[in-house]
Amino acid sequence: MSILIDENTRLIIQGITGREGTFHCEQMLAYGTNVVAGVTPGKGGQEVFGVPVFNTVREAVEATGANATVIFVPAMYTAAGVYEALDAGLKLILTIAEHVPVHDMMGVYHAARMKGARVIGPNSFGVISPGKSKAGFMAHRIFMPGSVGIMSRSATNCYETVFMMTNAGIGQSTCVGIGGDSIPGSTFVDVLPLFEKDPETKVIVLIGEIGGCEEELAAAYIKDNITKPVVALIAGKNAPKGKSMGHAGAIVAADGTGSAEKKEEALRAAGVHIAETTTDVVEILKRLV
Amino acid sequence: MDLMEYRAQGLFAKYNVPCCLGIVVNDIDELERQKDALKYPAVIKAQVKTGGRGKAGGVKFADRYEDVKTVAEAMFGMNIKGHTVKKLMISEKKSVDREFYLSVMLDRNTKCPVFMFSPDGGMEIETLAKEHPDRIYKTVVTPSFGAKDYIANYFGTKAGLDSAQIKELNVLIKNLYKLFCEYHCLLCEINPLAIDASGHLIALDGKISIDDSALPKFPEFAAPEDGEVVHPLVKEAAGYNFLYIPCDSEGDVSVISNGSGMIMSCIDHIAKHGSKVRSSLDLGGGATANRIQEAIRIVLSDPEIKILFINIFGGITRCSEVALGIKGAIETYGVKVPIIVRFEGTNKEMALETIKTLPNVINVDGLISGVEALCKIKKGDVVK
Repeated sequence: MSILIDENTRLIIQGITGREGTFHCEQMLAYGTNVVAGVTPGKGGQEVFGVPVFNTVREAVEATGANATVIFVPAMYTAAGVYEALDAGLKLILTIAEHVPVHDMMGVYHAARMKGARVIGPNSFGVISPGKSKAGFMAHRIFMPGSVGIMSRSATNCYETVFMMTNAGIGQSTCVGIGGDSIPGSTFVDVLPLFEKDPETKVIVLIGEIGGCEEELAAAYIKDNITKPVVALIAGKNAPKGKSMGHAGAIVAADGTGSAEKKEEALRAAGVHIAETTTDVVEILKRLV
Repeated sequence: MDLMEYRAQGLFAKYNVPCCLGIVVNDIDELERQKDALKYPAVIKAQVKTGGRGKAGGVKFADRYEDVKTVAEAMFGMNIKGHTVKKLMISEKKSVDREFYLSVMLDRNTKCPVFMFSPDGGMEIETLAKEHPDRIYKTVVTPSFGAKDYIANYFGTKAGLDSAQIKELNVLIKNLYKLFCEYHCLLCEINPLAIDASGHLIALDGKISIDDSALPKFPEFAAPEDGEVVHPLVKEAAGYNFLYIPCDSEGDVSVISNGSGMIMSCIDHIAKHGSKVRSSLDLGGGATANRIQEAIRIVLSDPEIKILFINIFGGITRCSEVALGIKGAIETYGVKVPIIVRFEGTNKEMALETIKTLPNVINVDGLISGVEALCKIKKGDVVK
């Protein structure tokens, strides 16, 4: 087991003929991901590393029985790509691009729920179930199969944690890139029940950061619903106030709303293990796994 | 991006939200040329992107042109909380019966637009929320349905408006919501929303914040406005699509990384080891060698930077591109400070091959080793 993706995932790459789409198509194939189709309007009939390209998501789904898609198109077209995938009946949609307008994401967030679909991202590295499949752009060689489920707002912080974990011999069941935007398609609260249900996942790691309220919402959910141990790392304790730290969602307001301290307090109250740094995450995991 | 008041009022006018958009002038000559358009009594407002300008002397009244001119002369160049006044808006002063607060903002909690209203307008919403939280009324808009009639009815009833005024409020709320959606706003605030002497609603002051990610759709707001304080390196970095963040002015370390999370983690780790980060630059994802070369030049153009830490965990960013960027920066610009480099991820081996012969470049394995190397170099400085 694992969550969201595994060896049965039949993946589409929307934007497969673009620079990033092509590069990461090759990377995903090399990892063993079952990439069944690509979509680029006007380029139907071509092939990218042997993967057939279609003009529309609907054609790609009909021809290949695809059940998930990863969208490698520029930010301004990301929402359009999601709507097309939703309409083609896909239930797992991963979005990668940074700087997707937040009003676009607001529409996508609610549309996905109406359709019973799951959107991950944007501003996300995607999802990887080590040893089985990856959908996204993460540097896969640092991952190793195991029993820790990770969800992270930041790609680089997730890599850092995974890198240290793997070096310490602690593997991962699935790593989910929640993404760094203020309205993610799926939040920590959406992913937590999947990890709780997954028999392979023994411990859950939550990598949050300053800004917003998702960590607080997760804390409330964990308190009532999660029986597995949870370790949390909140980045940005020493970030200057009132400045967005690059992720659109990572900003502490002048009054302290969204601060690391408040998030840690809420999580600690829910029984979550708080890690001060990435190194601490691994130290705590050594005791738990 | 926050808009200046005159631009917020301009958008209100465009969307038929009753407002008091006046004439906007950049100097006394412009004022002189437009003086026939003035209406009295007049209110002269400094255009700065900061709150509390009234208390700071940025809002004045005048009954005749000579006084407007005297006020304007004094206001141009005035410093309001670090913002230099370069633009004034002069409009007709309205006599006001009552003042309310009205806003619509994007709420991260519900992932929906939320309207907020208070019958007690005029003061800042943060103050109001602290002092009279029970006097703030909220409604969450379902995005696919939009703003409905009940919102005005709810707020209007709380404020004791008559039915004609509630009708007016209803039109205003719907127009404001249209503006909010079409301009990708994070916030549209009218404070105060007033009832004037004739019993009609009018927006006396406005604040609009537009989602930075949507700005490419609105080239009219792309250029920084007069009087806006933009850090020169922030501006230069933005030209290359990098995010430069000035951090602690007492620090002497700069951090370059390929993601905001990693930058925050670096700052946290370095702080834990007792050093201070003066600046950071986020390359974002997928930066190429020639852009990275410029990123290095930009952060090192601050002479206070004594050590540069480049920490790359490459997913979509290829380490090999970063390495070529470092090489390019050293060969083209000549780098005087030690560069600590940590590579992990996509194309790491190619990258290590590129940097191995470069002078003053210290390759470290891992974030912690990087921070430790940084501390060692700093200690060395103290010894010297």
